[in-house]
Amino acid sequence: MRTRISVDTGGTFTDVVVSDETGRQWIGKALTTPERIFDGMRAAIDVVAEELGTDTGSLLGATDLLIYGTTRATNAVVTGNTAKTALLTTRGFRDVLVLREGGKFDPHDYSQDYPDPYIPRRYTFEIDERIGAGGEVVTPLSEAGARETLAEIRARGFGAVAVCLIWATANAAHEERLGELIGELLPGIPFTLSHRLIPIVREYRRASATAIDASLKPLMQRHLTQMEADLRAAGYAGETLIGTSMGGCQHVAELVERPIHSLKSGPAMAPVAGRAYRIIEGQPADVIVCDTGGTTFDVGLVRDGELVHTRDTWIGRRWIGHMVAMSTVDVRSIGAGGGSIAWIDAGGLLRVGPQSAGSVPGPACYGNGGEAPTVTDAAVVLGFVDPDYFNGGRMALDVPAAHRAIGRLAEALGKSADEAAAAVMTIANELMIKAIHEITVSEGLNPRESVLVAGGGAAGLNIVAIARELGCDTVILPKMASALSACGMQFSDIVFEQTQSCVTLSGSFDSAGVNAALDRIGEELERFRRELKGAQDSESRIELSVEARYQGQVWELSTPLPVQRFQGPEDVAKLVEAFHAVHDRVYAVRDSGSQVECVNWKGQIAIRLAEPPQPNAAPPAALRPEPGGHREIYFAGAGRAAVPIYRGGDLAPGAELAGPAIIEEPTTTIVVDPGATARVSAAGNYILSAIG
Amino acid sequence: MTAKATQTAPGGMDPVQVSVMANRLDGIVREMTNTLLRAARSAVISSARDFSCCIVTGDNRLLASAEGLPVHIFGCHVQTENMCRYHEGDIREGDAYLDNDPYGGNTHPADHTFMVPVFFEGEHLFTTVAKCHMADIGNSIPSSYYARATDVYHEGALVFPGVRIQRDFANIASVERMCRARIRVPDQWYGDYLAGLGSARIAERRLKAFCTKYGRAEVKAFVEAWFDYSERRMADSIARLPQARLVNRGRSDPLAGIVDEGLELTVAVEIEPARGRIHVDLRDNPPSVDCGLNTSRSAATSAVVGAIFNSLDNDIPRNAGSFRRLSFDYAEDSVVASPVFPHSCSTATTNVAERLVNITQSAFAQLGEGFGLSEGGTGLGAGMAVLSGRDDRHDGAAYVNRMMLSTNGGPASPVADGWVNYAIPVIAGLMYRDSVEIDELKHPFRISELGLVTDSAGAGRQRGAPAQTITYAPTGNPVTVVIPCDGQFAPPRGVVGGHDGTPGATHLVGANGEEEKLPNVITVQLKKGQAIRGRDSSGGGYGDPLTRDPARVLKDVLEGWETEGKARDVYGVVFTGAIADDSLAVDAAATAARRRELGMAAAE
Repeated sequence: MRTRISVDTGGTFTDVVVSDETGRQWIGKALTTPERIFDGMRAAIDVVAEELGTDTGSLLGATDLLIYGTTRATNAVVTGNTAKTALLTTRGFRDVLVLREGGKFDPHDYSQDYPDPYIPRRYTFEIDERIGAGGEVVTPLSEAGARETLAEIRARGFGAVAVCLIWATANAAHEERLGELIGELLPGIPFTLSHRLIPIVREYRRASATAIDASLKPLMQRHLTQMEADLRAAGYAGETLIGTSMGGCQHVAELVERPIHSLKSGPAMAPVAGRAYRIIEGQPADVIVCDTGGTTFDVGLVRDGELVHTRDTWIGRRWIGHMVAMSTVDVRSIGAGGGSIAWIDAGGLLRVGPQSAGSVPGPACYGNGGEAPTVTDAAVVLGFVDPDYFNGGRMALDVPAAHRAIGRLAEALGKSADEAAAAVMTIANELMIKAIHEITVSEGLNPRESVLVAGGGAAGLNIVAIARELGCDTVILPKMASALSACGMQFSDIVFEQTQSCVTLSGSFDSAGVNAALDRIGEELERFRRELKGAQDSESRIELSVEARYQGQVWELSTPLPVQRFQGPEDVAKLVEAFHAVHDRVYAVRDSGSQVECVNWKGQIAIRLAEPPQPNAAPPAALRPEPGGHREIYFAGAGRAAVPIYRGGDLAPGAELAGPAIIEEPTTTIVVDPGATARVSAAGNYILSAIG
Repeated sequence: MTAKATQTAPGGMDPVQVSVMANRLDGIVREMTNTLLRAARSAVISSARDFSCCIVTGDNRLLASAEGLPVHIFGCHVQTENMCRYHEGDIREGDAYLDNDPYGGNTHPADHTFMVPVFFEGEHLFTTVAKCHMADIGNSIPSSYYARATDVYHEGALVFPGVRIQRDFANIASVERMCRARIRVPDQWYGDYLAGLGSARIAERRLKAFCTKYGRAEVKAFVEAWFDYSERRMADSIARLPQARLVNRGRSDPLAGIVDEGLELTVAVEIEPARGRIHVDLRDNPPSVDCGLNTSRSAATSAVVGAIFNSLDNDIPRNAGSFRRLSFDYAEDSVVASPVFPHSCSTATTNVAERLVNITQSAFAQLGEGFGLSEGGTGLGAGMAVLSGRDDRHDGAAYVNRMMLSTNGGPASPVADGWVNYAIPVIAGLMYRDSVEIDELKHPFRISELGLVTDSAGAGRQRGAPAQTITYAPTGNPVTVVIPCDGQFAPPRGVVGGHDGTPGATHLVGANGEEEKLPNVITVQLKKGQAIRGRDSSGGGYGDPLTRDPARVLKDVLEGWETEGKARDVYGVVFTGAIADDSLAVDAAATAARRRELGMAAAE
């Protein structure tokens, strides 16, 4: 393998990570250029090329593989900037996207309008047909009616069509026929059939995914084609892969067929990075992965060395955004970051957020007219942030403004400025701790037995404090922490997933039906592998699982299959036991007497792109570095004192230091609290011991 | 930022520490909630979300309730108090208790309440409480709502007044056997029992870790500080209301042959901003009635408290601290909050309670623009009915469940239109809706339509949410449908010039397609070939429809929620162009003229 490049285009920055055949990595950052994504990408690659003493054309020419992660699809959904899309539903169910699955925050809040459906009602068309729960045809498809509807869709100038009929998962004939008719009557108009994209039971989430997917097709096709052309023109001749929300990547051709997979693909890559770093650093197999941006805090998991997936994924807020429903890496986001505003409520308690100063005007210390005290201002007052070295010295901070903002808060609280600033950090940490608790609890992970991997520009400010509160001792802060998602792509596999619906009870198990479903899944995965360019000889791994529940339950749990196919009752018994174990882990309840109802069967193939990460060689000899200087810093409980400051560039593998201390990297600041320690591993990552 | 220097809580508790500990406690209740929701067996819990979790202090004060149903928030402390009294001297770690006695602090018998006393260093510091509406409780009819029950004996529920169900963390088998001997589809009940108990036990573990982390003294200081904080928030929010005495009345639907005219209900609210207090007088209400419509003290009080919270800042903690600012007068014998044994409280959390929410929240609208809410849609109609029978697809296996398919429309507020997935006022949109496919998979019936009803919403500057309609029919064996609907006579009312919503209706559709209107409270056995068609009620409007933003009216018309006719005649909005080619637009001049014309007509 020669050079590999991964690119993560976020809303503000484009991160690029370049690795060579020895696994060494370089990072480049540039502003994202939404009009032509390649411009920002090139600028970021330029940064690395310059560091390597070459130019971007030569670097691209020497590159075999480029993995591209994009927020393009996510942004399009959020801003409603997708194709004008028609939705075809079964007659009687025009409101499937209006009615959703319910759910609401806060029973006493009547200040919000009900959310709009993803596809307007006036773009939703009812088709005369109905399949029953057993797959029987209750009302045959009205071909004449369908032709009439499609003629109208053509006349009204729709750019894409989504088809989601009731019980298409039990009998796909009507959807298939509509697909043929669309091909005939609307040639060139992209469409998505629900049973092909996401054959799961539950009409709302299936319709939502189908509608989102169809609406993205024209846009993503254009976008990816343009991007590839730009790359080629710049001298790139290697393979291009696109990052997906499954925590893997796919070829452009597949992504264009199912663009929904690129939604939320950036956040999904952070746990992929976490999975690799914990191996490299020889840490336990349960990992909590945190990514701290300017306005959001994302948390994901690695359990038993594997990514954790969910279908409960939304663009926008849960219940009121739009449900993606595809099996995606479980990453939960809360609105918390450096810009979160601190305030005092009517009962006299200090609160942080949800209001944010954003980037305009931003925290008071940005000097852009912001007056509200923010988390960043608190960090400045405490001395955590060097005002002359913020963002690598590229932005001067207005320290007096931060003191004024925090000072007003301190007065209202009856505390000193230092105490008030520390309180702001504590409350901000609480929000993140709660988000971590929610995901670890719902996945049955014990933070005390896990390792934390932290990324994002602001991660180092409070990760030790957070780890302490969680009772989690070890934190890995990768050298490339500020580009965690782009790093994850460097370690990702090509991942493809197939689902089949076959509902059956463990007491009257339909082995033939299930085996047939698994066969179909196997064939699809095999076809995918076979048709994959240049990866035929790569190592691949298939994992089968089922979404199952106790008889009568409503919500399923994903359970790995203990067998490949079901030959007899003992295989079914193994599955039932596996389900009990998962249920017990997640809900602390096991109902041994109950039958298990299996709903959706899933197969995922992962085709290896990179050599799997290897644990570090023997730890380097311990070094005791000298600090580059000292600064006055306030720690709650310890007070204000001169604390040693280390420049990251001065710390070689093996360097060890004890808190209180600050480590300054160009894109992040690491606060090592009193009692904590830090060392630099052989791979150059920071290993923090929160408890010491 | 309104506060001055913070008062220091008893014990000199640091307010930052109060925030941190409150956050942890809130996380524990949310974990309870998530566990119960996902692990429960019946759709009424796992989908309709008809349950609540809370933490009560060892001395029986409600401490934390997170996202509990409004109708469950008041009364758990009475249940834990009774538990302590009934078992004085014999409560210990490893115990769990079940209570569903509406005369002992519970809402209604369908709500099985699981209580686990939490001990730390030998002291009973907390009780964790999970209250779950069971799909069946052994009533004399296959529904946990029995509106026509003449008394508790006719109702037939098994009642557990604070009964011990676990000792040393193991089930007391007799209680489980009693339930299995009487409750329909006992495995479903048992699955919900495990989920409810599991939720209370998880909170027990977490609370012990919480106490270990902070220590007993700190935890106790926190509890008092949190109550004081909650009280300050409540007092502050009330202080910003005008002083007033608000009296509002409303009427429940009739119950043919028992309460032919319905019940006239009255809530009087005295707001004393200077003292930061609200006093509620519930005495002016009819005596207990010989049916299941009586509301227990807990259900009625919860309904009113919930509606008061709807009218205040929306993030005030709901606990014994904020409740210190509320007081109540109750009658000696009343359908509202004071039933006399053995009157039945089978539907205490719905029918009359729904009306109490509406009457109270719309009373606040008497204060004028910017206050209160309109009335929300009421009634468990055909889309929220209890279905039961034997499933011919599974060897005649018995089933019983409450649906959550179509729901009523929510009320309008001073700033927002009604919430579509509202269910009923006491659920307030918190529930999940069932999936059509999942319900068809689990029950031998088929749904042929489910959607919004055009032009049904209560018009207003802010509009109520529209009504929904549903039609379903058995696919094999007959299906017994129990509908206790209280939303087909008096429609949800608009406020501050907003129009009323529209009432619901239930129809039986015969094999020949003929429709027969059914009474609002009905049990019907649906045979193959027949269908039920139900329509729910819509929310009332807030403010004069002639002042509604024309852009909102345009959107309603484009989306088919309202017609061009209603836009012209009720909202005074006139359009140019057509929907089909996306050219529909507001004709500003014609709209202004039309609004003047309608305004003058109204003034005459």
